[in-house]
Amino acid sequence: METVLPLIFMGIMGLAMLIYVILDGYDLGVGILLHFAPDDHKDMMVASIGPFWDANETWLVLGVGIMLVAFPAAHGVVLSGLYLPVAIMLLGLMIRGVSFDFRTKAHDARKPFWNRMFAIGSVVAATSQGWMLGSYVSGFRDDWWTWAFNAVIALTVPAAYVALGAGWLIMKGEGELQARAVVWARKAVLPFALGISVVSIATPLISETIYKKWFHLPGFFALLPIPLVTAAAFMALWHVTGKKSIIDAGYGWIAFASTVLVLILATLGLAYSIYPYVVIDRLNVWEAASATSSLVILLVGTLITLPAIIGYTIFVYRIFWGKAQELTYGA
Amino acid sequence: MSAFWILSLNSWMQTPVGFEVVNGKIMATDWLAILFNPSFPYRFTHMLMASGLTASFVVAGVSAWQVVKKVDSKATHHALKTALVAAAILIPIQIYVGDLHGLNTLKHQPAKIAAMEGVWKTEKGAPIILFAWPDKETKSNLYAIEIPKIASLILTHDPDGEIKGLNEFEGKHPPVAPVFWAFRIMVGMGMLMLLLSWFGVYLLRKRTVNTMPRLYLIALSAMAFSGWIATVAGWYVTEIGRQPYIVYGVITAAETAAKHAPAMIGLTLTAYLALYIFLLISYVLVVKNLSEKPTRGQPPKLPTAPIQKIDAGFASVDSSSRAETAGD
Repeated sequence: METVLPLIFMGIMGLAMLIYVILDGYDLGVGILLHFAPDDHKDMMVASIGPFWDANETWLVLGVGIMLVAFPAAHGVVLSGLYLPVAIMLLGLMIRGVSFDFRTKAHDARKPFWNRMFAIGSVVAATSQGWMLGSYVSGFRDDWWTWAFNAVIALTVPAAYVALGAGWLIMKGEGELQARAVVWARKAVLPFALGISVVSIATPLISETIYKKWFHLPGFFALLPIPLVTAAAFMALWHVTGKKSIIDAGYGWIAFASTVLVLILATLGLAYSIYPYVVIDRLNVWEAASATSSLVILLVGTLITLPAIIGYTIFVYRIFWGKAQELTYGA
Repeated sequence: MSAFWILSLNSWMQTPVGFEVVNGKIMATDWLAILFNPSFPYRFTHMLMASGLTASFVVAGVSAWQVVKKVDSKATHHALKTALVAAAILIPIQIYVGDLHGLNTLKHQPAKIAAMEGVWKTEKGAPIILFAWPDKETKSNLYAIEIPKIASLILTHDPDGEIKGLNEFEGKHPPVAPVFWAFRIMVGMGMLMLLLSWFGVYLLRKRTVNTMPRLYLIALSAMAFSGWIATVAGWYVTEIGRQPYIVYGVITAAETAAKHAPAMIGLTLTAYLALYIFLLISYVLVVKNLSEKPTRGQPPKLPTAPIQKIDAGFASVDSSSRAETAGD
């Protein structure tokens, strides 16, 4: 129990974070893209994420919640280290959430203002999440190299979210909106791929611990599929967004799926790099874990909560399957 | 369900039980005792009532505003009546529950009560202070307006009962002024709620919503957000009142604080406050904007208007009644 429970919670926490990045990633991406869309597409874009977006954020709450209760020591270190970017992210998420409702409920003349706030909130949240990830991986150091590293991730995450958001709109949109989404997705591919490459190369350079985990034989060859499949996924994304015939034949979902695949692989790579640490080089899973008796109670709670969240998530995606429809929010 | 868990957690931090301290770590020993800790039932009931009252006054206030602005419909009248009756029923129960909650606090957190009542020195037959300026330098209340013995009567149910003063909790009591004031704001709001809702129900016995005095309707609109003010003030009382502890009697807030530079805290706090003020103003404006649109279900009163106009009325009503669903 004492060995296994912390690992179980580490797994659930990692899973929650991955699902968060994918799910809230696409709706943050749509939020960022809102800035580039003509006015007559904006309502449809928001409608495409309308039923999902706040449920998507639940996963972040679940992930951080598990960290707080299952790994209180790590929670203290991580959230203190990330104090400023977390504060900025929360400001962004608040502005975004409020704009979501107010853009149609406020006076008509204020709608462009709230649309802009929605895009700003989305980009602020995405960028600060990137900075948080960078800072977490590099172990909360304060020097120029680390800041440069954090900055690269801070730009890569919004690019990834835009790719996800555009992929989502290819699936959910029709006609002109879909065509526009294809262009957006294609524009996002290069910065996204470049970002992932730079981060992949820089991560082992910035952390000796991570370097040792990747660059030894024969382990290196066992790990080779991760970068290779990632490269293949990028090629698929590039290919799909370049051929209108593929989109028209109904295979537009490949763009979204390949972006998701990249993110899953990146998460796997990251998880392998960091394990068994919760805070790299400082706290491992077992050192950071709560008392076993607490974890048992938590496990019971999680076994009730997690299936419930997964259940309603599947339910909601099934109901709103297919192309988005025009929605009005009590306007 | 949310309220249950949140209040269970918060109540445990106020009245911690069911744990032991091992090597400076707090270990749970009895989960049931932790969940249903001594202050939980009172805080839980008090909060649910507060939420009910908050909702009642929003509905009543917004409906009253619609009547004042003459964009009301049958639905507005129903909403106004329902909200008023609900508030009139809830508020006396809330005052009673609040009293029980206060007695519970007296038992477990006497320092908080001393701050709420502005009792600097232990005294028998303590007066209730309606207004005062608690001064921490002189440890006394300036400009106090008091009614003798009432505080003792309320808290101990004996006019000569003893109330422990802040002098017994030197260095372990909360800052007095914010707790003292927040408590008076909360109670003041409660009293206004009692007055307004009972007067409203009294009016409804003889009048319809349309013939209610305009001044009363305006007062009701002004009270639309009173529930929030009272609730927030109440939380200030209980949270500031718990200081200097974060878990009452176990850990102080200072011991758990992260070591951030004061400038960093100042910066983020300012940013949060600025955003909240901005959102608060936006929220009030949006609610006002929504409430001034014609209500759904019935077109605006256009008895002599041509047919097209009524049609247009229906059309706008129709679009507004579609799908509130996805936003919330």
